[in-house]
Amino acid sequence: MSAPSPIPPPNDRRNSRASSSASLPLQTPDDVAAEPGELRMVGGPPNSPSPLALRVSNSPSSKRRRSRIVKVPPEFQALEYVSTPDSNLVCLICHAPFDKPVQLPCEHYFCHDCLEHAWAPQSAGRKTCPTCRLKIEIDRDVKPVPKIVESMLDELVVRCSNSKAGCDWVDHRVNVHDHVMLYCEYTPVECPVSDCRLHIAQKDYHKGCLHYTVSCEDCHASLMRKDLEEHQRGICANRLTSCTLCDAELLRLDLRAHVSNDCPRHVISCQGATIGCKYRQERSDVLLHETTCAMATMAPHFREQQARIERNEARMEPLARKVGILEDGLSNITSMLYPANSNDASFPVTDPLDPNDTEPTTDFSLPPASFPPVAQGTESPQAQPPFDSQVHHLLTLHDSLREEVSRITNAMTELEGRANMMVFNESTRAKEDMLRTNTAINSMRMQLHWLMSSHLHNRTNSAGSSSARTTGNTSATAGGSNVTQSASARPGPSGALQMPFRRLSDSTRQDTKL
Amino acid sequence: MQGKLPDGITLIQADNYETWLVDVKVIDPNPIYQNETYRLKFTFSGQYPIEPPEVTFVRDATHPIPYHPHIYSNGIICLDLLDRQGWSPVHNVESVCVSLQSMLTSNTKKERPEGDDNFVRYNTQRPRDINFMFHDDTV
Repeated sequence: MSAPSPIPPPNDRRNSRASSSASLPLQTPDDVAAEPGELRMVGGPPNSPSPLALRVSNSPSSKRRRSRIVKVPPEFQALEYVSTPDSNLVCLICHAPFDKPVQLPCEHYFCHDCLEHAWAPQSAGRKTCPTCRLKIEIDRDVKPVPKIVESMLDELVVRCSNSKAGCDWVDHRVNVHDHVMLYCEYTPVECPVSDCRLHIAQKDYHKGCLHYTVSCEDCHASLMRKDLEEHQRGICANRLTSCTLCDAELLRLDLRAHVSNDCPRHVISCQGATIGCKYRQERSDVLLHETTCAMATMAPHFREQQARIERNEARMEPLARKVGILEDGLSNITSMLYPANSNDASFPVTDPLDPNDTEPTTDFSLPPASFPPVAQGTESPQAQPPFDSQVHHLLTLHDSLREEVSRITNAMTELEGRANMMVFNESTRAKEDMLRTNTAINSMRMQLHWLMSSHLHNRTNSAGSSSARTTGNTSATAGGSNVTQSASARPGPSGALQMPFRRLSDSTRQDTKL
Repeated sequence: MQGKLPDGITLIQADNYETWLVDVKVIDPNPIYQNETYRLKFTFSGQYPIEPPEVTFVRDATHPIPYHPHIYSNGIICLDLLDRQGWSPVHNVESVCVSLQSMLTSNTKKERPEGDDNFVRYNTQRPRDINFMFHDDTV
């Protein structure tokens, strides 16, 4: 039943729930006890035990497992089924074909273990069927399933649980336990060396501990001794291998390239396949065929053109985007010019007489009141649709705007001249006024001078006459009072004549101020 | 576990056995849930399927939280099926999705549960640790 192949398994470390009942001594304890030392001499490195073995020997549990071949029984839920099992034979809890199925009174079936797990959280008296919640008495209600169901389950075809390690055993499920526990050469067992805790395939058991690191002599990868053979046979890239198609000898490294590029037996399509040639044969035949195939000779040209088309398309894409951006800008400008008609930018109809449509006119004829005819004049050509195109329309618009600008400029110069004239006229009038005022002031000053001089003349005369009578007065104030005294002392005039003199003295003082 | 899924249920992400994302749509013409797709997040514990998975609605740009008197606005679902007592190991992602779908289909009230604001603001527990009171048997 088992088909032993020489490929050693990869290190299969299942998370072992080692069951003691599954132990199966293949060798007598005496044999095993005698062997380890000797085996280390054979299989191990010549001088020192491997570092791994040393590390393992320090662990406290290494003593526990001595010379017992412990195998893990296959788990039915983890088995790989050759065909998808009938859904009627699948446990609703674990979604795998039943393992030790039981039947409930409601005719619902479950794996025995699944049911136990499902019932674990429920309190003792309240177990229910997971499917229909029928109340279950464990002692009474859990019954074995009919024989026919069991035999259907037994006859399910499965692969060996060590299939990943290389075993290609395939048979009825009922036999898998015996196969794995008794016959399968790939079942992981504990290393025969007492201080190594790792697992090794059963077929390599007699070789002793292979759990030390070696390096592959071809690719210098470091790996475990037990994996070396498989590595060299199947993985190592620097080893010679032969092409499965053409028997050429080459490095594994180059195998893939050889098959896809060179191998004459590799089946490929004619070069013209892209343009319709259906020819598909081994490479050597295809090469012959291509010398005559019209499509194969045309294919490079097609490819070139295709590439050119793609290049052009790639170039077109940014151009299209640029055009889009420009169009956006254009429509933005249009909508700015015609906010009311922004949704119909290519066909602007703005009636200047329409009272609802005053916004555009106020936009570019400021102030509106001063140039009413001008604004009308610029608007009227725009109000005459249709234009050939948006560009044409924009150009006319631009022209009319320019005209208007020049008109506004003219009007402004005119205004400026007028304003200048007005200012000039005003200023001349003001100048004349000022001249007149100046002359008036001057004449007034002349009169003042005359009055002053006459007054001074009077005073010197009176002072000359009074100096003979009052000689002791030297101070200016005294002199001032003397003037009044002298004036009042003058013969003839009454008190009414006194007042003008006083006023005159005041005015002299003001005159000096001026 | 998944063969052909029922209408309105789409598996979005099932890369591992920890978190799955499933999109659910209400097929029947219920005006509350018209034209909307809801995203469910399943979080499985190591004990699944013995223990229930943690199932919540998640909100993102295109997936709102459905209005339902038993669905809080942070996506937590009050459904006995998802509680330890109501859970049964025979349920799976598909059956849970179908249950939620029918729960939405039969709903006629576009409202959140009572005390939604407070719950959403103050709840720091995981859905599995919340003790829901299952009072409404109509859903």
